[in-house]
Amino acid sequence: MTIPKRQKHRIARWLIQILFLALFLFLFFQIRYGNQSPFQDIFFRLDPLILLVTSIAQRAILWVAGLSVLLVVTTLILGRFFCGFVCPLGTVIDVSDSMIRLRRRNEFSARNGKYIALLLLAVFALAGTSFLHFFDPLIILERALTLVFFPVVTHLAGLLLDVRIVGYTETVAAFLVLALVIGFGFVTPRFWCRNVCPLGGLLGALSHFSLFRFSLYARCEQCSVCQAICPTGAISSGEARVDSRECIVCLRCQYECPHDAIRYGMRRSVNPFDLKRRQFLTGMGASILSLSAARFFVRRKPNPNLIRPPGSIPEEAFLSACIHCGRCMKVCPTNGLQPCILEAGIEGLWTPRLIPRIGGCEKNCNMCGQVCPTSAIRRLPLEEKIFVKMGSAAIHRPRCIAWAQNMVCLICDEACPHNAIRSVNRTIRGISLPRPLVDERICTGCGLCESRCPTEGQAAIQVFAIGEERKAKGSYITEEKVRLRTCEEKTEDIPSGFILDGN
Amino acid sequence: MSSGIAAVTLLPRHLLSLEKEQSAGPVLGVAYGEKPNLVEKAIELIGGIQRFVKQGDRVCIKPNISFAANIGCGATTSPAIARQVVQLCLDAGASKVILVDHTIQDPNLCVERSQIEEAVTDRKKVSLLTLNKERQFAEIEIPRGRELQSTKIAKLIQSVDKLINLPTAKSHSATGVSLGIKNLMGLIWDRAYLHRKNLHRAVAELGTVINPDLTVVDATKALTSGGPGGPGKTVELNRVIVGTDVVAVDSYTVGITQWYNKSFTGRSVKYIVEASELGLGEIDVGKMRIQERRV
Repeated sequence: MTIPKRQKHRIARWLIQILFLALFLFLFFQIRYGNQSPFQDIFFRLDPLILLVTSIAQRAILWVAGLSVLLVVTTLILGRFFCGFVCPLGTVIDVSDSMIRLRRRNEFSARNGKYIALLLLAVFALAGTSFLHFFDPLIILERALTLVFFPVVTHLAGLLLDVRIVGYTETVAAFLVLALVIGFGFVTPRFWCRNVCPLGGLLGALSHFSLFRFSLYARCEQCSVCQAICPTGAISSGEARVDSRECIVCLRCQYECPHDAIRYGMRRSVNPFDLKRRQFLTGMGASILSLSAARFFVRRKPNPNLIRPPGSIPEEAFLSACIHCGRCMKVCPTNGLQPCILEAGIEGLWTPRLIPRIGGCEKNCNMCGQVCPTSAIRRLPLEEKIFVKMGSAAIHRPRCIAWAQNMVCLICDEACPHNAIRSVNRTIRGISLPRPLVDERICTGCGLCESRCPTEGQAAIQVFAIGEERKAKGSYITEEKVRLRTCEEKTEDIPSGFILDGN
Repeated sequence: MSSGIAAVTLLPRHLLSLEKEQSAGPVLGVAYGEKPNLVEKAIELIGGIQRFVKQGDRVCIKPNISFAANIGCGATTSPAIARQVVQLCLDAGASKVILVDHTIQDPNLCVERSQIEEAVTDRKKVSLLTLNKERQFAEIEIPRGRELQSTKIAKLIQSVDKLINLPTAKSHSATGVSLGIKNLMGLIWDRAYLHRKNLHRAVAELGTVINPDLTVVDATKALTSGGPGGPGKTVELNRVIVGTDVVAVDSYTVGITQWYNKSFTGRSVKYIVEASELGLGEIDVGKMRIQERRV
């Protein structure tokens, strides 16, 4: 049995799409403690939307995403092939669309929506904030993998295997965004790609000038087969026109045309650019509205309970640079890095924060900075990372069982990897026992004490972002810090486990 | 109660101890020097590994790898020492050797930092297991417990033939030192509970139900302050202390170096005193028979 040519082509395209989705998933599982291999974040480096928005938002070119120029150039030659072949979210949408199987063809179309989304992102970026997290397809998928898919995988695997089970404080919104993107498929196939996706909008605008494109030939009999099968509604057979901005180069029309009248090749005609005045004005109106909205959201107060990962750049710059992809949370070996809900404002949704009660920051780990695709968390060497002060621990004496209940607890002292907690003999109502004290000069706010405090419920030792250091550049290592840590003999009291002479 | 526990509890001192040991106090083997066979020499001094491990035995070794500290600071059992113990067990014909610890910090990090995997000399017979799931533990009664009436201990030690306790010599901010008996805390589930009780007594009470057949203290590098997790003052002692009487081993080890820049004896460590009062072993160094050899 021979497979018809058009079937072969469809299978080939599916294979390529599945391959890229598999690669995306493979790279996702490569985000793990100890894996330093480069190019784990290759998808994000190839994304010109991240380059554009982040560069504008942080007022500096995001060089690490410079590779995306490659995608820009290939799009200028081949058209919007990325959406049809490479984009993993596009593949997920194709799969879900094929399961949805719309009975009735819906003609809904709001194509300029994606340009408006692009404009909106640009305006937000100009206001100094990045709203990529709601719009970039790669980020939406990566974050849903981290916050929704991965915890489920670990829970299931944990039933059989000895794996670390992870969980996150925010999964609902991450799931809803993905569900919405997929659920749009009930309106029209590839609804997201046609009408919303700003990356699609950016690549579409570039495709307007692409060298290769589809053209209809004179032998076309206007049977409308192509128009009916086009997944993005790019073809208007009546007007004998293929809109290269919409076309995702899936090649289906070429293989299914009964008259061989539509072909992909070097440009024959350029479409008129038809962003109408009304739409442009709509876009501008939306932008101005969103700018004022952005201004509103950008206002924020410092939150002392918000502990950022070690090496995070200053908060303003951090929010501009962070793309909320969730990679740092995926890699964190203690599960302590968790997504913010509204602790950092709406623009801070899904940005990473350390919740020490869930897990502290391991001293010998700097993975969050290693996997961050935009260096919102700096890529610090381990020797420097251990000097970063994220906050300070404070003991709540009324609840501390060593201070209030005369227990020989001192688990916080035991847990502290910097020996910033000292046990000092203090007499309370005639009972002399060692009680923990924090040396704020040495404490880095890693929260290992808080994570292990045996006081039930809220810990009796808690980390606050007080004294946190956020440097965009320059070393965290200072002579003073080194001196404090290398004091040969710290004034450590003799533990109460010893019976001293005269007692 | 499980019969496995009873066996572990009863075997060592009642069946394995030499007759004269009981009359003249416990025998400790101490080897020191730079050579890489300290463990073998120390065990030879108390009768050789064949006395403890028989052909076909399943052996559980409990090193201390509870902290993701850098090796060389003394907070964790050195991989070289662990490797020697494993190899001795295999040479004596052990069918299976399992290294096990309930780590305090992330188990993967602890395994990586301690480099304990170096001790896995034979992939088929030797395995490494971190106990960080509640289902790996089973509740047992502590009949003589005052602070602890019951606790959950690792199921694994109920099913093995021999238990070798392999602590590192280090200081401890609460108990003063952390040696053999304290190391057994890495075999129970709820460690924090002990801290909410009289910790010294609770640690000693653990010794009434978990009774290792042999204790090997890695005192090659001792963390003499800043323990249990370090950083602190690390002293190179190049010494290994072995014995079947865990109280004697602990008590002797306290005296071999200064802790927090002060000299102590076993009698000045509360948990060792409590253990001795519970009749778990000999605390008086004068009553021990110390076999010492330079290697």
